Amino acid sequence: MDQLTNVLTALSHPTRRAIIARLSNGPARFSDVAEPFDTALNAVTKHLKLLERAGLIRRVKQGREVMISFQAEPLKAVATWVHEYERFWNESLDEFQKHFSSKPAKEKKP
Amino acid sequence: MTTSTKTIEIRVERNLATTPKDAFEAWLNPKVPGTPWNMAEKLVLNPHVDGLFYWLVRGTAHYGRFTEVASPARLQHTWMSPNTQGLESVVTVSFKKQGDGTVMTLVHSGLPDTEGGRSHDKGWNFFLDGFRQEIEKSKVA
Repeated sequence: MDQLTNVLTALSHPTRRAIIARLSNGPARFSDVAEPFDTALNAVTKHLKLLERAGLIRRVKQGREVMISFQAEPLKAVATWVHEYERFWNESLDEFQKHFSSKPAKEKKP
Repeated sequence: MTTSTKTIEIRVERNLATTPKDAFEAWLNPKVPGTPWNMAEKLVLNPHVDGLFYWLVRGTAHYGRFTEVASPARLQHTWMSPNTQGLESVVTVSFKKQGDGTVMTLVHSGLPDTEGGRSHDKGWNFFLDGFRQEIEKSKVA
């Protein structure tokens, strides 16, 4: 997947957006990030992995602790993506693609 | 006096479940959904080299000139609208066979990178404004 897809995937879940909102106040430990969520730690770990894959967070070891910080740079890719024409062509090509996938596939002759 | 406008290029790619020839023909067929011509309120389309198009959508006129019509691989035309601010932007569409399908690549280049070209859709603004605020907050922190 390209970086834009990774970023949009990462931003598509409210918990991950909440994690970014939390980290935008400054770096935090894993336990601080996980604390506000009524969800399993394992689930938080998965959310962090998706954010990390998108480049939206970075883990830095400080002594015995790992601090997680927010990285804003990948959001630029999203800002560029919402250029009117990019949205227009994406929506158009989605429709165009559907036009073919809705047609029955031609049977191959043996 | 010379003025320069920063331009950007947009690239969109899709895999189509058809042949390059069928995709090429469909892309120039105003009856096919997803082609820009399909949503026209008024359309003049002459897809030959140096042929012109006039495309009226939501009351906004778009004009262009076909510069390359090489079935089934490549199609190129210019594109002018109020959003291109007098610049002649270029749309290049290519179709390449891949397995049983076709990879379609659309590149729209020479677009002015201005606020006017950016989406003002409420949903996106809401979405981005939220993040802009977060970024601003992170700068302050």
